Amino acid sequence: MNAAAIAALRLLGGVILAGLVWEAAVVGFGIRPHLLPRLSEILAAFAVTPGAYWAGLQRTAAETLIGFAAGTAVGIMNGVIFFRAPLLRDMLLPVFIVSQTIPVIAFGALVVMWFGNTLFAKAVIAFYLTFFPVTVNTLLGLNSVDPRQVALLRSFGASPRQILFRLQLPMALPQIFVALRLGASLSLVGAIVGEWFGDNTGIGVLLLQAMYNESVVALWAAILCAALLGTGFYALVAWAERRIVFWGAEQ
Amino acid sequence: MGMPVSSSPSPLLELRGLSKRFGTVQALDGFGLDVQPGEFVTVVGPSGCGKSTLFNIVAGLDEPDDGGILRFKGRGCHAKELLGQVSFMPQRDLLLPWRNVVDNAILANEIEGASRREARAKALAMLPEFGLAGFETQYPHQLSGGMRQRVALMRTFLFERELMLLDEPFGALDALTRSMMQRWLLDVWQRHRRTILFITHDVDEAIFLGDRVVVMTARPGAVKLMRAVNLPRPRAPDLLTSPEFTAIKREVLDAIEEEAMKSFISGTAAPP
Ligand SMILES: Nc1ncnc2c1ncn2[C@@H]1O[C@H](COP(=O)(O)OP(=O)(O)OP(=O)(O)O)[C@@H](O)[C@H]1O
Ligand SMILES: [Mg+2]
Repeated sequence: MNAAAIAALRLLGGVILAGLVWEAAVVGFGIRPHLLPRLSEILAAFAVTPGAYWAGLQRTAAETLIGFAAGTAVGIMNGVIFFRAPLLRDMLLPVFIVSQTIPVIAFGALVVMWFGNTLFAKAVIAFYLTFFPVTVNTLLGLNSVDPRQVALLRSFGASPRQILFRLQLPMALPQIFVALRLGASLSLVGAIVGEWFGDNTGIGVLLLQAMYNESVVALWAAILCAALLGTGFYALVAWAERRIVFWGAEQ
Repeated sequence: MGMPVSSSPSPLLELRGLSKRFGTVQALDGFGLDVQPGEFVTVVGPSGCGKSTLFNIVAGLDEPDDGGILRFKGRGCHAKELLGQVSFMPQRDLLLPWRNVVDNAILANEIEGASRREARAKALAMLPEFGLAGFETQYPHQLSGGMRQRVALMRTFLFERELMLLDEPFGALDALTRSMMQRWLLDVWQRHRRTILFITHDVDEAIFLGDRVVVMTARPGAVKLMRAVNLPRPRAPDLLTSPEFTAIKREVLDAIEEEAMKSFISGTAAPP
């Protein structure tokens, strides 16, 4: 607990230091504001319309989280099904792989046409980017369980279901979390890209508006919002991983 | 096999003409053995002669090839009917890294459907006997090799079945810990009255622990020598230097030597 507090303080110190260097560099080297505005200017932009940024952050966070959660659930389920039914895996996994080679942009347009400019449509795109790595890593994790460990549980009279929940899924968790960390970043990308196909709120919308208005300050403000959301979400997943897979990836 | 069968009570486990083939490898060929209730039988044999294969069959994990006879508690059965019926400890401890000592020890009971609370209470009461008092909430990565092995043994004992299969439980331990664990195992065995089949590479260990030593032939595995160990119990370490012990050891070693030579020669010679 104490170590965590110290680490948090160190991080805060680092962020403040980076901010000071930014500010000093822009002022000191006389960097023109349309290349890189001062940090204080950007922060001031937040202060002018805090509501817009806050709403955008919330909206994008909701899309990301819903897509990520659904992608995780479906990915793990797929992994388990493919693990149990190798024939199905051999039939469907190639189809999944092909589906993943479709650039998300092309797919995004379609999803927005299907579901309209809704929160749901963006969540679907975030889901699309998350479920595949989770599927693959779940399958990988389940397949890498030591067969001697499975034999031991069988000798205790364990059913396939018991073996799955008491041995195989927990053993696969380190692998699954590798995909979840990846999915945390990808789902945010999916949500922002989804917003580019048209919406009224969201970080992606703020980015587009700033671009059309050629407002570098607003653009940077939106980028900072995205960075905040991205790192926050990634840190959350990493924290959950440390809590849940406390024994480490290797025994 | 020349064993007096009629005079003894009905055996807990009867194996006759057990064979097992993996592709081109004949792992077991006509293996036969009777194990009486309460008996401690040790099995020694050259590496790769089919000892673990034998255990996998008796644990129900592998089906023997057709033609062999497998009887448990007087009833002929398929190997798979033995799943959940014998208490099996494999060559490695195979503890689950996310379960602490107590929860690892009660894994088999949990799978049987026993109440977690009752199983835990039982395990907690058993900890001192296994030298694990105070370690109940430790995780496997925090334990030494000897302790992990004792947790695995405790898991095997808590899964209360008449027949226990121990596959080289002390193989990875240093000599000192090992001899301590041997005496400790005899002590626990005498108190819990189980039937034990015990695999080892160590002839001293086989004689020191067993009521009977089974020496296996080189692959394909069969019985080479069956030697009763008529040494008094409880057994103390100084037994290892007694003339009776040495005589048995001589006999067992001769048998092993012959088989080791065979497997060495067949290993170096060109395949047929
Ligand atoms: N599942 C399997 N598939 C193919 N071959 C196998 C299988 N299990 C065992 N074997 C082979 O059968 C033979 C006997 O193996 P086993 O593990 O029973 O030997 P062991 O006596 O336990 O050896 P060790 O003393 O080294 O533990 C070996 O040659 C092994 O390669
Ligand atoms: Mg073996």
